[in-house]
Amino acid sequence: MSENKFDPRIIGNLLNFGRSFIQAPMKASIPHDVDIGSTQFDVAYKEDKMRLLHFRPLTSRQVRTPLLISYAIINRYYIFDIDPKKSWVKNLLEQGFDVYLIDWGTPSKIDKFLGFDEYVNRYMDNCVDFICDETNVDKVSIQGYCTGGTLAAVYSSLHPERVKNLIATAPVIDGWKDTTVVSNIAKYFDVDKLVDTIGNMPPEFIYYCFSILKPFEQGVEKYIKFLDNIDDEKFVERFLKIEKWAGETPPIPGELFKQWIKGIYQDNLLIQNKMYVKNELVSLKNIDMPVFTQVAVGDHLVSPECSMPLHYAVSSTDKILKLYPTGHVGMIASSFSQKTVLPELGKWLKERS
Amino acid sequence: MNNYMENESNITDYYKKTATFWSDMMGMMSSKSTTLSAVGPLRNLSTNLKKITNELTEANKETVEFNNFLIKYYKQLSDTWTNAQKEVASKTTKIPPNEEGTEAYKRVWIDIFENNFTGLFDSKKFSENYNNLVSTELDLLKRWNTITDVMLKSANLPTKEEIEEIYEELHILKNRIAKLELSKKQSEKNVRK
Repeated sequence: MSENKFDPRIIGNLLNFGRSFIQAPMKASIPHDVDIGSTQFDVAYKEDKMRLLHFRPLTSRQVRTPLLISYAIINRYYIFDIDPKKSWVKNLLEQGFDVYLIDWGTPSKIDKFLGFDEYVNRYMDNCVDFICDETNVDKVSIQGYCTGGTLAAVYSSLHPERVKNLIATAPVIDGWKDTTVVSNIAKYFDVDKLVDTIGNMPPEFIYYCFSILKPFEQGVEKYIKFLDNIDDEKFVERFLKIEKWAGETPPIPGELFKQWIKGIYQDNLLIQNKMYVKNELVSLKNIDMPVFTQVAVGDHLVSPECSMPLHYAVSSTDKILKLYPTGHVGMIASSFSQKTVLPELGKWLKERS
Repeated sequence: MNNYMENESNITDYYKKTATFWSDMMGMMSSKSTTLSAVGPLRNLSTNLKKITNELTEANKETVEFNNFLIKYYKQLSDTWTNAQKEVASKTTKIPPNEEGTEAYKRVWIDIFENNFTGLFDSKKFSENYNNLVSTELDLLKRWNTITDVMLKSANLPTKEEIEEIYEELHILKNRIAKLELSKKQSEKNVRK
């Protein structure tokens, strides 16, 4: 009988939740007005919509080989500098690395015909060229995150002589092994029709893909947690920054999206070494430089099974695969990444730079 | 006429034929007088009307298809919701009505809904229907594009196809410039060596 007694604390919790709901607009900033990115940079090179950002050094001496970060084609680059205490680039600068980052910009209708060839052989190659000229080196280290990891792997395969080290962070490599629901949608997707009719892949469709990934954890629980923590200033600030980042994604150039869906998800050509970029075969076996593959066990955007095959496909003898108990964003923008992922990466990279 | 009314597809054909017939007739009827009275716009109007009517009739058929896929889409979502709710009800009967119980209920609810909906999104039936839904939406968009193109053409403005041609030309031109720049850079490097 006593088990069924109503607990008055439930009423208390409900009242607190109501209070948080009402007070939220007073305690939190408007999500789109939140400032992101505090590490200073210069735009070192620009081509079409693409910008090469060069972060200002934070140490008097720097590691000889510069590091080029190839950001993803989804969302914005500033996730790498989301918060001073959780900034990926700031941490690398403090470790003495010379950091460059590619911001792919916002493609418009005129960019519909841009594909892997332009992204890899033109934009990325020109960035590498620029950095080599600026810093007087022959090779750079490249880190690619998410879809940027795929671009970095393709670049390293086509231009191995320009890459000193490759770091692939949650790269999209083996589409058939991807266990996320996005790969299920991609499997039957008529990408030709979409590109012929609309041109570029619109952000709205990308948001739809996000919404079907853990819809209740990401769409309900996350916001309850936010209101429960409304008095925690730091939590609220970080929450809004991540929300702003997740809600800002540029369109994807039509041709690139077409090649992506067909080549990675539908026909899975990359991992089979059957993908062609402008008549040139992309063989992952050409990747013979040191490779560090970083995979997040709890990644719900790019499943570990999709990223890990890179480690086994490259011909490098000096290679390492690390699995981290975190998620897709947690791997690059969290206290965990500051304490574990970045020190390990820094140590590995310094030994090879 | 009676045969036309027998099933849904015949009804669509009937309306399509009627619309095309009258827009053709109107075009023919007006062609002589418009040719005499005007050069261009008025004559364009009759031809445009035919094209627009055709597109709108075809769009009707696709709207029906789109609605069918949309209904199926919402049915998949609501069925999954109902099943998940039933599962939650069956698994939460013994959870006590206290603070810890509320937390446990929330956890069970989220886990069950997450599993059920992920199962749906991961299924072939969902993916096929969703892609059919998007595909018919794109068909409708194509019709709208054609109608817009007809109107742009009559206003003597470039159509979508013509604009795309320019974009493609620019793209090719940019690639050619990039190639030239690259070879220039390489020859400069060779000279330096």
